[in-house]
Amino acid sequence: MVSTTVVGSYPRIGDAPEEQALRRAIAKFDEGVLTEKELRKIERSVVREVIQEQRAAGIALPTDGQVTWYDSQSHFARHLSGVEVDGLVRYFDTNTYYRQPVVGGPVRWREPSVADEWRYASSVAEGPLKAVVTGPYTLASLAKADGRPKPELVGEFADAIAKEVRALRGAGANRIQVDEPAITRNPQDVALLSQSLETIASEKGKAWLCLFTFFGDVAGILDDLTALPVDNLGLDLVQGDRTWKALAGQGSRVPLTLGVIDARNTRRDDPGRIAKAAVALKGKVPLGESYVSPSNGLEFLPRGKAREKLRLVADTAKLLEAGL
Amino acid sequence: MSLLTTSVGSFPKPGYLTKARAQHSRDEIPDEALRALEEQATKEWIAFQEDLGIDILVDGEQYRGDMATYFAENLEGCEVSGLVRSYGNRYYKKPVVTGELRREGPITVDWWRWAQGLTTRPLKGMLTGPYTMMDWSFNEHYASREDLALAFAKVLHQEAKDLEAAGARVIQIDEPALSTRTDELDLVVKALGAVTRGLSAKTITHTCYGDYDRVFPYFNKLPVDQIDLEMSNSGLDLLDRFRRDPLKKEIAFGVIDVHTHVVETEPQVRERIERALEFFAPDKLYVDPDCGLKTRTVEEAKEKLRVMVNATRAVREARGLR
Ligand SMILES: [Zn+2]
Repeated sequence: MVSTTVVGSYPRIGDAPEEQALRRAIAKFDEGVLTEKELRKIERSVVREVIQEQRAAGIALPTDGQVTWYDSQSHFARHLSGVEVDGLVRYFDTNTYYRQPVVGGPVRWREPSVADEWRYASSVAEGPLKAVVTGPYTLASLAKADGRPKPELVGEFADAIAKEVRALRGAGANRIQVDEPAITRNPQDVALLSQSLETIASEKGKAWLCLFTFFGDVAGILDDLTALPVDNLGLDLVQGDRTWKALAGQGSRVPLTLGVIDARNTRRDDPGRIAKAAVALKGKVPLGESYVSPSNGLEFLPRGKAREKLRLVADTAKLLEAGL
Repeated sequence: MSLLTTSVGSFPKPGYLTKARAQHSRDEIPDEALRALEEQATKEWIAFQEDLGIDILVDGEQYRGDMATYFAENLEGCEVSGLVRSYGNRYYKKPVVTGELRREGPITVDWWRWAQGLTTRPLKGMLTGPYTMMDWSFNEHYASREDLALAFAKVLHQEAKDLEAAGARVIQIDEPALSTRTDELDLVVKALGAVTRGLSAKTITHTCYGDYDRVFPYFNKLPVDQIDLEMSNSGLDLLDRFRRDPLKKEIAFGVIDVHTHVVETEPQVRERIERALEFFAPDKLYVDPDCGLKTRTVEEAKEKLRVMVNATRAVREARGLR
């Protein structure tokens, strides 16, 4: 059965005033008129709302929308030792910014980054919920670490993220995704990525583990990725549309998350056309155990458009299932 | 003329204008009331620049919100999106291209003409570049990023022509997104060229934020007379590249970091100008802040510009430049 999921992030506010509670709360917190406890309460109500919104649109395996993350890098860095969080840097080719982690000493896991949040989100999820962590290769690539050899740095981040995966398992998470967008920019580093995934996989226990790459294609390294000890491989097939051809040629032994709905543009995708392209991979890819998803996190879209994209994911999955 | 001083484009809006814009967005005050305050703020900034002795002025963009949606709101085939997050608790709206782009009429010319009428010094015409407009827009109509960038270039060329016809001698085309995708730099050159083609006004492009190292080989290819670069925020790191590959056009050299509240000291800025003079001839070197000053307070912006002008004057005097 073809299923549906998302990549991770979701717009935390919308254009309707009642959808802007979190924005107002953060502004009040910054002014000192709202306590941290009150802010966390509002954050949690938005987490609940975002999960419900995904389910209502037909997403079988939602996430917490990363509503509590400042960004995908500093959210982890601030819980690690050996790393300080510094100024704003542009995040890939998006017109958004992240606070750059600066590595000062050995990188070590200190305390959970997302495990506690996952515990709450899961308690209100009314069904399966996917936990997401930023992968060690991307954390190392986007950090500032003058003079540190990259293999060593990726290794330290891998140990730290493996411990986060252990903490997530302790919190009850059995579906865990590792995001590695940076590998689409430097595919020649795939050996580093593979090593770090082995480190993480050693802590996964019985959990289902997914590696997701986005913001580009992985056509040249598809074989390396499908050989990894993961249960699912997530692919951006929009910005990384060159991966389609590699899939048609080489196929994949692992089930995929097909990131086919464009999460970077408001243009309405055509589920019929996309499902047809995916059906063509029949025999090459275990489609029946695969997922359909947006091409990357949905937070680059306005909330209303993100909702529409969720429905397009569900429509595409139905058409794909029917075509098998 | 040597070491002419100028600005990148935006200045902070005074408190009364920020308040009026919020009221206007809630329909609490009419268009004319807002316009009057935008004019007042523009007059204040022009007078400030004149009093300070800045050579090439800007109008400070007191009537613009976001640099991309300002154009989107004034183009056929273009709408404005819902809110998307930029970082932290900051959200913005993006252009959404829903049909063929067409200019209903001049967009910036009336404001330019009005503001130029307030001063005898040259005032820059200010456009957001075609590549940046494309990169920052949602595209629901054109088949490719290139098609969209060239469609923006077409309307921006018409706008530049109209600015020139109105008397603008200097036209700046901002491309802050220039370095986002280094595999698209040929497209930046092509699209900018479609804007500047056949213009006799001096053309400038401003860019900031990014992997200058990979962009560097393109500086001489950009079809403009002057490039305006953020230099101080990156600790002048870029300078050594110019030793290897000299720039064949004018440069506006950012000597003021716009991302910090801290106002530079005059010796600091003098030192930056002196460093720049090791690489560029004084008649090809313009002095300005790294980027638009709109994120600073009015007072910070004024102080920073004052230091910039005083430091430039001191360097001119010390070297006997005029
Ligand atoms: Zn700038």
